Amino acid sequence: MSAVRHWVSGIVVAVGSVAVVPQIVAQQEGAADSTTSLEARVNELDQQVRILQRLRELAADSVAAAAKDKVSATAGPKDGFSIKSADGKYALRLKGLVQTDGRFFLSDSAVPVTNTFFIRRARPILEATVGKYLEFRLQPDFGQGATVLFDAYSDVKVAPAFAVRIGKFKPAVDLERSQSAGDIVFAERALATNLAPNRDIGLQLSGDISTGAFTWQAGIFNGVPDLGNGDGDVSDAKDFAGRVFFQPFKAGTLAGLGFGVAGTAGLERGTTAAPALASYRTPGQQTFFRYSSSTTTPASNVFANGQRSRLAPQAYFYSGSLGLHGEFIQSWQAVTRTATTVTLKHKAWQTTASYFLTGEKNSFRSAAPKKPFDPKAGTFGAVELAARYSELTIDDATFPTFANPATTPSKAKAWAVGVNWYLARAIKVVVDYEHTTFTGGIASGDREPESFVATRVQYSF
Amino acid sequence: MRTRSAVTGSFALFAFVAGVAGAAAQGTPKPVTLLNVSYDPTRELYEDYNKQFAAYWKAKTGQEVTIRQSHGGSGKQARSVIDGLQADVVTLALAYDIDQIAEKGGLLPADWQSRLPNNSSPYTSTIVLLVRKGNPKGIKDWGDLAKPGVSVITPNPKTSGGARWNYLAAWAWALRQPGGNEASAKAIVGKLYKNVPVLDAGARGSTTTFVERGIGDVLIAWENEALLAIRELGPGKFEVVAPSLSILAEPPVAVVDKVAGKHGTKAVAQAYLEYLYTPEGQEIAARHFYRPRLAAVAAKYEAQFPKVSLVTVDDVFGGWKKAHATHFADGALFDQIYQPGR
Repeated sequence: MSAVRHWVSGIVVAVGSVAVVPQIVAQQEGAADSTTSLEARVNELDQQVRILQRLRELAADSVAAAAKDKVSATAGPKDGFSIKSADGKYALRLKGLVQTDGRFFLSDSAVPVTNTFFIRRARPILEATVGKYLEFRLQPDFGQGATVLFDAYSDVKVAPAFAVRIGKFKPAVDLERSQSAGDIVFAERALATNLAPNRDIGLQLSGDISTGAFTWQAGIFNGVPDLGNGDGDVSDAKDFAGRVFFQPFKAGTLAGLGFGVAGTAGLERGTTAAPALASYRTPGQQTFFRYSSSTTTPASNVFANGQRSRLAPQAYFYSGSLGLHGEFIQSWQAVTRTATTVTLKHKAWQTTASYFLTGEKNSFRSAAPKKPFDPKAGTFGAVELAARYSELTIDDATFPTFANPATTPSKAKAWAVGVNWYLARAIKVVVDYEHTTFTGGIASGDREPESFVATRVQYSF
Repeated sequence: MRTRSAVTGSFALFAFVAGVAGAAAQGTPKPVTLLNVSYDPTRELYEDYNKQFAAYWKAKTGQEVTIRQSHGGSGKQARSVIDGLQADVVTLALAYDIDQIAEKGGLLPADWQSRLPNNSSPYTSTIVLLVRKGNPKGIKDWGDLAKPGVSVITPNPKTSGGARWNYLAAWAWALRQPGGNEASAKAIVGKLYKNVPVLDAGARGSTTTFVERGIGDVLIAWENEALLAIRELGPGKFEVVAPSLSILAEPPVAVVDKVAGKHGTKAVAQAYLEYLYTPEGQEIAARHFYRPRLAAVAAKYEAQFPKVSLVTVDDVFGGWKKAHATHFADGALFDQIYQPGR
């Protein structure tokens, strides 16, 4: 019985196994198919992810390549209107400066001056960068109804420590002159500027060591009289002009201190018909000093005839909202009248202080207001107070041979106060009061003082 | 007396030395630099070639020559030269691109191709198929690239010279199929390009996509690029499949007369290209898997190149000018076939 039971059990197990095995195999094959299908799906997704990544990579390369060729055009108060190549090596910048001024002279009965509005300066400025080393600047002026070329020069900047400038530009002499007309603190420069050249034509080497810690300029120029803007020379002799300037402190309380000295040396040979000598102007731009000249007896006109030199120590200091700058200029000029030749030493100095009531950082360049004028936002720009004192002393040896003491003062002293309102970087309103007194200048006594109020609305970009 | 003699003698010696130095300075040519604007896959070739040529030129003339390289899609490179890239020589993927430099840029004469042997092509190549090890998709010929589920990597014919060879090779094969004609070729090549997920600007970019980024099942490649990829980037990872028919690619070289003339480098530029035809130049080409022209060098390296039946652009397409107008100009057949996103 038990043997039969074993046989039956065995047969049942065998039949059962035969029935179950295909199911197991089918399940295993199904699982394998699922796995294969899953793998294929994973591979497919992996490929799609790789493709997307690669497409993104190629798109980024394409954008980078396009950016290299992209020319940018910008407009703003700092650089005006500009077009620049993608690599920055080529750029054209159009800037401008317009100053609409008013001059209102007070107590001018003896020396009457017309009160007037006028365009003090109207200057389109074109600057270009060509390649790695070359820059150009062209600046004419159409103010006051005249057309005058102020700047036309090219710079070859081989390295920060060495650059070459050729053309017409400001020789590096006078500190206040080296400030651009849009950045000066007062509407007019101080008396000391009378003894320095304005613009001259020549060649200048220059360098900047350690980002302004030491800068130098050395040039050869035609040579112009004091305050002169020359387009040619009256004699073969040339002038040398040079300047060294230090800003040794990069940080700390004295970081804003700069000081240096400039000078010129040359020969000037005028004639009685073309004397090559300067007349000096008050801050109100009225001539107060002239060398003797006569249309009826021109042979007795004073003319430049020999050595002309200048020496100009100068300094500035800026700390926070406070700015101070000052300079002293001494000039030597050999002059002749008929048979008499002397070297005349004139000297001048000025000191200027300014302070931003609104907290802007003061510097040699105009400041941009922290909060430009926007009445809706309740902001009104930046306000700067300024004060200045300056003197110009004519050599005593000038009188009476070379200048008439009855019409020409021997000294001028000027003080000024002013308020500058910067509505935006591009817009500045100036109101100054300046008072100048004289020593001599009339037959008995002193020339009538000059007092005037200067106003200016300036647009610059 | 003695002092005078010593002084006189010193001056004489000084003058002699100065004279010799001056003469030597005058005799030593100034160092010169060449810019070789080339197509995408020739980087390794010219790296080796330039070293060899510089050594040869220095030994021959005493002049130091430095060769700078620029690489990119052949069509793009040609446009760059036309737009002002100062190439002293161009070594591009196809004659049409140099024809454009002559015609649109006016930088070399129209008959430039006759100035060097073998139509100014010092070496040739062809187009093959590079697949992953084991050839999982069973790619055997061009027709397999048009099948659904096969991902094909090839560059953009609008920018890459190699891509134009690829396209024309596929088209030529399609024309040779039973019943093959322009319509059937357009259909087959159209399906092929539908299988292209990424269109790089140049041949090297496509190699990067396939080999390094691991995208695609098959790379249509310059033969030299495929063999280089196997040797340098994936020994044991890839296989070359030689299709039943391919195209004879003849990458040409030329001096850019106006630029070389301006730079004063005409002589050295000409010598630079002529050196490609010398046994030494041909050896370098062969080592980089370009098919050399010199019979002796070709025989030496025969085994490394697959046997492929080749047709030419002239025979099948009537020359490059006609091929470009028919297939690659704006609005031509390629633009009709390949419309991204559709």
